Amino acid sequence: MITPEHLRELWGYRSLIVKIAWSDFKLRYKNSVLGFFWTLLEPLLMLLVLYVVFSHLMRVQVEHYQLFLLLGIVLWNFLARGTTMGIFGIIGKPSLVQKVYFPRDVLIISACFTALMMTLLELAVFAVFMIIFKVAPGLTILYSPLIFILLFLIVFGLATGLSALNVYFRDVQFIWNVVLQAGFFATPILYPVTIFPEHLQKIVMLNPIARIISMLRDCILYNTAPQAGDLIYVVIWAGMAVLAGYLIFDRLEPRFAEEI
Amino acid sequence: MTVKVKSLWKTFKIPRERRDTLFENLAGIFRPNQYDALTVLKDINFTAEEGDFIGIIGDNGSGKSTLLKIIANILRPTRGEIEVDGRIASFLELGVGFHPDLTVLENVDVYASVIGLTNREIEDRKEDIVEFAGLRKFEETKLKNLSSGMQVRLAFSTAVQTDPDILLVDEVLAVGDKEFQQKCFDVFNRYKKEGVTTLFVSHDLGAVRRFCDKTLLLRHGEQVAYDETSRVIDRYIYNTELDYTPLEASEEEATASDAMETEDAAIEAVEEKKTRWGNMKLEITGVKFLDKYGKMNNNFISGDPLAVRIFYHSHEKIDSPVFGIVFYCQDTYCYGTTNDFKGFDIGSVYGMGYVDFVIEKLPLLDGRFEVTVAVADSNYKVQYDWHDRLYSFNVQNPTRDLGIFSIDCRWRPAEDG
Repeated sequence: MITPEHLRELWGYRSLIVKIAWSDFKLRYKNSVLGFFWTLLEPLLMLLVLYVVFSHLMRVQVEHYQLFLLLGIVLWNFLARGTTMGIFGIIGKPSLVQKVYFPRDVLIISACFTALMMTLLELAVFAVFMIIFKVAPGLTILYSPLIFILLFLIVFGLATGLSALNVYFRDVQFIWNVVLQAGFFATPILYPVTIFPEHLQKIVMLNPIARIISMLRDCILYNTAPQAGDLIYVVIWAGMAVLAGYLIFDRLEPRFAEEI
Repeated sequence: MTVKVKSLWKTFKIPRERRDTLFENLAGIFRPNQYDALTVLKDINFTAEEGDFIGIIGDNGSGKSTLLKIIANILRPTRGEIEVDGRIASFLELGVGFHPDLTVLENVDVYASVIGLTNREIEDRKEDIVEFAGLRKFEETKLKNLSSGMQVRLAFSTAVQTDPDILLVDEVLAVGDKEFQQKCFDVFNRYKKEGVTTLFVSHDLGAVRRFCDKTLLLRHGEQVAYDETSRVIDRYIYNTELDYTPLEASEEEATASDAMETEDAAIEAVEEKKTRWGNMKLEITGVKFLDKYGKMNNNFISGDPLAVRIFYHSHEKIDSPVFGIVFYCQDTYCYGTTNDFKGFDIGSVYGMGYVDFVIEKLPLLDGRFEVTVAVADSNYKVQYDWHDRLYSFNVQNPTRDLGIFSIDCRWRPAEDG
């Protein structure tokens, strides 16, 4: 559990966390400069397709739709990547789990950090696009790190619980994949939530990820500060995600080395 | 810096049917899975004091590695307690977490972190590690392009940079050549001098004897002994725990049944390959190796007594037959002798009996040795029976001497003047 004692132990392993995260990050890009571009190309191409489809064929009318779309995709990608890499955090490193001791959540944290590094790269590209489209952020952008941290906590909580479950039930990864696919369309990423009638909007916005994406868009693109209610709602979700993740993880963790 | 293990039990639950997925679990919800309990450690109790170098020995499957993993906190005990006081480094395997696509330096960086070095230590020692592994030229080479020998060297030179309070080592020596083993020994010596508490699992009894003050012997998960090393190794090799029926007690039956078996075997053997020949007027009906406790055994320690008991059955009265014995190491003829050469007269034999060939101090070193026994008439003209390399025994060398056998010798300083 997230006791002060456990946090202190994790702090002792901070350099290991960073090193595993960093080497996984490098491996993903195969240590090459070209590798970076290929991986950046993927969301950009996807953006292009979605942009064409939604702005021209479906006629979505949103201010700065390109940036609106790109930010949504980048943020959703972080959720998808962080949780997917987290799921493989334990079963993907059997030798580390079976042959040495360190707190097992080190692997999850570092997986989330790897996802974070990839997302930061994409956010850098997003910043370039903002310049290209001449959109200057207002002061409200200062809220964005805080909101992003909340997103990170939700991703981490999900990854923690799912990774532990996946050690015992190897189809969790496939089930989660389907959930992510559905979530991508159920969350206002491609479209603004306002396309729904009023009562449906309330239901859609129960999804904390939808709120996070909409708050981040507001404060980065539209110079609008987040509502306190929205923030509190997301804080509660982040806390619950981490708590639930650890409840599952702690229950299953003792037999990881035997089950893997 | 101590390790205390108190009434430790470990049971693995092994499902009859493996259910790996949620789907299988849901499908089988009304058909509960059955489990077999496999108890691999039963009531283990010992304490390693600061600076102790402790060996853990036992046959495969006796629970040695599981014990180490529990102490390392990789597995959790089913019952009992482990108290560990100090920083642990565990070498259950070298090069854990090595990635083939990372370069040598990158791998050192990650692996050193995994085994618990701090960032500063890593920065300081990185160069030394690569140098010591002899891989300076390959610093930026991806690990997959190195030979497996180089990889082991790299892992080893990284691993020895840790300065833990408690060291857990599992069969690391099994992977390397002689030179690598020597390097390991040097490091062990260093750790020993530094007073690092070490638990060392090994099949290399020679190494255990050299380094370990105390040794824990496990058999089928039970703690058979925890005592001074030489005593425990004795106990392991000579199996003094097991109730072997002493030969004296049931000699008649044993001899009789052995005779039958040997005879049956002999008939087949003669037909298939020439392992036994002779006119069988005086038959050798069995050969037993006896250890220093007078018990039947096939495992011996160099320098200990060994007796070869040869049972015979003479179908007619024969005067002064000559028994011969030959020792082979692989295909090398090591030593051969007869009672005649040693000036010992058997006298006249008729019916069943035995004769002992006694070695006071076994001079053979490591390995498996084969034995030929034979009997002929007093003029070596008539071969009664010849068992060509039908018997064998194993020898464990407790010293650092190399080779097949040891020579009684010593070193002498130069005389003054």
